Amino acid sequence: MSLTADEAQLLSAVNTPNSDAAKISRGLDMFVVAILFFAIIAAFHIHFMLTVGDWDFWVDWKDRMYWVTLTPMLLIFIPAALSYPFMQKFGLPISGTLCALCLAIGEWISRYFGFHLWTYFPFSMVWPAIVIPSLMIMDLILLLSRNLFITSIFGGSAVAFAFAPTNWPILAPYHIPVVHMDQLVNVADMIGYSFTRTATPEYLRFIERGTLRTFGGESTIISTFFSAFVCMILYFVWWKIGEWLTNLGTIPNVLKEYVGLGDDKNDK
Amino acid sequence: MISSKKKLPAMRILLTKAIFTMVLMCIAGTAFAHGERNQEPFLRMKTLHWYDMQWSVANDATVQVNDEVTMTGKVHFFSRWPEIISWPDTVFLGNATPGPVFVRKETYLNGVPMIQSTAVEPGRVYDFKVILKARIPGRHHVHPMFNVKSAGGLVGPGIWVNVAGDADDFVYSITTRTGVVIDNLGTYGVENVVKWHLIWAGFAVFWLIWWFRRPLIIQRYLLVKQGNWKELITNNDRKLAVLLLVSIITLIIYANDITREAYPRTIPLQGSKSEVDPSPDLNDGRVVVKNLLAEYYLPGRTVLIKAQVTNNAKSAIQLGEFTAANLRFINKSVPAAVKGVQDGYPEELMANDTLGVSDPSPIQPGETRVFMIEATDAAWETERLSSLLNDPDSSYGALLFFYTEEGERIVSEIYGQILPTFFD
Repeated sequence: MSLTADEAQLLSAVNTPNSDAAKISRGLDMFVVAILFFAIIAAFHIHFMLTVGDWDFWVDWKDRMYWVTLTPMLLIFIPAALSYPFMQKFGLPISGTLCALCLAIGEWISRYFGFHLWTYFPFSMVWPAIVIPSLMIMDLILLLSRNLFITSIFGGSAVAFAFAPTNWPILAPYHIPVVHMDQLVNVADMIGYSFTRTATPEYLRFIERGTLRTFGGESTIISTFFSAFVCMILYFVWWKIGEWLTNLGTIPNVLKEYVGLGDDKNDK
Repeated sequence: MISSKKKLPAMRILLTKAIFTMVLMCIAGTAFAHGERNQEPFLRMKTLHWYDMQWSVANDATVQVNDEVTMTGKVHFFSRWPEIISWPDTVFLGNATPGPVFVRKETYLNGVPMIQSTAVEPGRVYDFKVILKARIPGRHHVHPMFNVKSAGGLVGPGIWVNVAGDADDFVYSITTRTGVVIDNLGTYGVENVVKWHLIWAGFAVFWLIWWFRRPLIIQRYLLVKQGNWKELITNNDRKLAVLLLVSIITLIIYANDITREAYPRTIPLQGSKSEVDPSPDLNDGRVVVKNLLAEYYLPGRTVLIKAQVTNNAKSAIQLGEFTAANLRFINKSVPAAVKGVQDGYPEELMANDTLGVSDPSPIQPGETRVFMIEATDAAWETERLSSLLNDPDSSYGALLFFYTEEGERIVSEIYGQILPTFFD
C-alpha cells in the first residue's frame, strides 16, 4: 500500500534527525511505551493469576502434568493476540517478550506485596514460573518467518516446548526427596505442608491425577507435547482474534449528545 | 466546561466522602479470628465434635518465635452427616491460624502422620495431634481444623497465642533423603530462582531495548503502510534473532545439564492418601439416646431437650455434659464431668450455668428413662448458633457425655428436629 502525500511528508519529517517532528514522534513513543507497559502488566498478570492461578502460585502445585500442560496454553492467549497489531501494524516482533517481561514484573510485585508481606508466605513457596524464553522464541520465529502458519507451528509449540526445561533448573532443588514423619515427600511437598494455607488443603492440589502416570514415568514430556500441539492452534486462533479486534474500527457514539458533546454524526 | 458554581458542591461531596472514610477508618475494629461464629450452625453441630482438647500453652500465653505449640484431643465425626455436603472421604487435618504465622510441623490422626489427606468414618472418634512452630510475631487465634472436601474448613475450639520476638530469627531446618541440609525451608532455593529470573529478564530487556532505541510508532506505522519491510526488519535484526534463538536454546540445554548434575535424585510431588482406622467405639450400644422433642426458647437462650435414654451398661450412669459446636454445658453435680473440663478451655465456649437435668438420679443398668435436658447460656446467641432456626433443615446435633459410678465416660450422639419458641 502506498502512502498519501501527507503521510509521505510526515514520514520524511519524522525521519529528519533533530527535527521537531522527530522529537514529538519520539516523545509519543515514550508515552505510549510507558502506558503499554503498565497496561500489559495489569491485564496479563490478572489473566494469568485467574487462569493458571494456583499452579503458578505454589511450589507444591508445580507438577509434571497440569502445570506443564496448562501454563503454556493459558500463557499464549494475550501475546498471540497482540502479535497481530505489533507485527502487522508496526513491524515489531516483540509482543511475546514484552508480555513475558511485564508478567514477570507483575508476578514478582504480587508475590512480594500480596503473598509475602501481606500474608507471610515465604518466597520458597510462591515464586513464579519463568516464561520469558518461551515467548521470546515465539517472537524470534515470527521475525524470521514473518508467516502466521510457520509461527503457529514452530513459535506456538515453542512456548510449550521451552516451558518445562526453562523451569526445571529452578524447580529441581524442590524435588529432592525428604522423609518427614516417616513419609516420603519432596521439598516442595514439605514446604506446602509446613506453611499453612488455611483454605487450600492438601486435597485441593490438582496434581498428578489421571492415567498419564501410566506412561512410563515420562509425564512431563507427554504433557509438553500435548500442550505444544494445542499451543499451535491457540496461537493461530488468538492471532485471528487480535486481527479482528485490531481492525474493528470505531462505531459512531450517538450517546455523546446526551452529555453535551454532540454526536459523531453532527461532528461529520 | 464546569462552572465554579458546579465546582462547589463537587468539592463538598468530595470532602464529605473523605471525612466519612476517615471516620470509618477510626471506628473500624481489627479482625483477629477466623469468622468461625459465622459458619452455619448445622455445619458446626452436625459434622465434627471436638473434645478433650489440650494445648501445650495456656490461653493468651506468650511464646517466642521458633517455640512449639501442641494441640491434642479427640474429634468425633457425626454419624448424621449433613446430606448437602460430601461424605468425609477426603479430609485434611490442619490448623486454622491467620495463614502461615505458625509453621505446621507435625500432624497425626490416631497416630498416623497426616501429611496427606485421608478418609474418615462418620460416627467414629479419632485422636488428633497438631504440632506448630511460632513464626510471625503477633496475637493469633489458633484452632485445630479439618478441611473436608466440598464442605471447607471445620474448626475446633481456639485459643489466643501471643508470639514475641523477631520474624527474621525464624528457622526451619530439615535434612533431605539425599543428605542435603536445608538450613531454612522458607528461603531455600530462592537465590537460584531469582538468579534465573534475572538472567532471562536480561535477555528480554536486551531484545526490547534493541527495538525501542529506534523510532517506534509513527515512523513504523507509515513504513508498514508503505510496505518497506527491509527498513522495518533489517539484516542485523535477523542476524541478532538467529543469535538469540541459538543462545536461548543453548542456555536452556546447558541449564538442564548442570541441574541434572547438581540434583541427580529427584522425585515428583507426592499426592497419595493416608489410611487411618478409627478409635474403638467405647459406647458400642451401652447407652442408647433418642431425641423425643427439642425446643429452642429464644427469650431465655435455652435449648430444652426431652430425651429417652436406655442404659445397657453394667453400672449406673449420669449425664455429665452436653456439647454442641464446641459449646460445653457441664452438669456440675457430677464430679467426673467437672473434672473433665481441661484447664485453658476457651471461657467463651463454657456455659456459666450448670446443665439442667430434670431427674438427676443415676440411670440404673437396664433402665430406660425419659427426662428433660436444659442447656442455658447467652453463648447460643454470641456463638450465633440460634441462627439454626433460619436453616431449611431446622435440626441440631450434639454429644452427651454419661459417666458411670466408676467415672468411666460413655459418649453418645443426640440429634433431631428443633422447634423455636419465640415468646415467653
